[in-house]
Amino acid sequence: MEAVAALERDAELMLRVREGDETSFALLLERHRVPVVHFLYRMVQNRPVSEELAQEVFLRVYRSRATYEPTAKFTTWLFRIATHLALNWIRDGKKEKGQESLNQELLDGVERQVADRQPTIEQEMLYAVRLAEVRRAIETLPEKQRAAVMMHKYEELDYAQIAKALRCSESAVKSLLFRAYETLRSRLAHMA
Amino acid sequence: MKRCARGWRIWPREHHEGKKMLCLTQSKKGAEILLDYCARGLDPVRMAELERHLEHCAECRGAMEQQLRLWETLDEWKAPAVSPDFDARLYARIARDQSAPAWKRWARRLLQPAAPVAMWKPAASLAAACAVLALALTVHTPQPHSSVPQVHADQVDIEQVAKALDDLDIITPTNPM
Repeated sequence: MEAVAALERDAELMLRVREGDETSFALLLERHRVPVVHFLYRMVQNRPVSEELAQEVFLRVYRSRATYEPTAKFTTWLFRIATHLALNWIRDGKKEKGQESLNQELLDGVERQVADRQPTIEQEMLYAVRLAEVRRAIETLPEKQRAAVMMHKYEELDYAQIAKALRCSESAVKSLLFRAYETLRSRLAHMA
Repeated sequence: MKRCARGWRIWPREHHEGKKMLCLTQSKKGAEILLDYCARGLDPVRMAELERHLEHCAECRGAMEQQLRLWETLDEWKAPAVSPDFDARLYARIARDQSAPAWKRWARRLLQPAAPVAMWKPAASLAAACAVLALALTVHTPQPHSSVPQVHADQVDIEQVAKALDDLDIITPTNPM
């Protein structure tokens, strides 16, 4: 019930943006900034690029405010734009140029994981190894499988939303997830 | 019909419609149910049914635990916080975009639609086919056949035409009616 209300609220806000209400755009940005950036970050595995792509997502949303019609859920539309941009970036082979060092992310992650405590060298190393394995396992998934897992696991989108974002059927999404999780389970089995 | 190691079966939604029953671990459908269960996406009735089953089936329980462990492992990968100046940079970008000339904004909207347009690809293919056809016609325009003598209206003899029409009248069979 709460989720439905939130979805209707998004559409309502977007309709207000269409009428020229800038505050509503700020509210939409506030609600969806983090999920979009995090989704893109996990897709492209590069922080500056993920933020650049997320800005492009919101810019395109703003540009199309005049023609916006609430025919689909706002989140679905948002993730469809984000997925499109991420897949294009990956397909363009920009990944090789933009590989990010793990160092900063490792530090961020370790700090978060052992909040209020100083991480030991051993903890840092252990975290670094585990994180690198998770990233590698996800990175080696075919791009559509990767996108499906990111939306399902981390953004908690339902099958219908993922299907619309990936422009495929719900049964195709289920197949993508089935294969992706199977691959990940076997690749990361030793870490469990 | 497939069953898991202990011979238990899971009833997917189709069971209520009198269709086939599938095993949790040995079929794709079963794996999907397991995934929904792990994501807490099953309705309460099916959730309870599955939980009763899991109490007795080590194989299915193992599969569920594997999936949950995978998700715990994936949870270790935290995304970094968004830069504090993200909004400021976005608004600056929007302002730049909006101050661009109208034709440029229009072209951007056309070439960079918010979401990919489904008819974009077929339309592009059609446009390419038309371009190739137009090019082919330009390069190879059919020329009038040189062996056919050109007859100009001022050279036509009226008497000759009348004679030809008379001949044609003779050749043409008359209507028996």
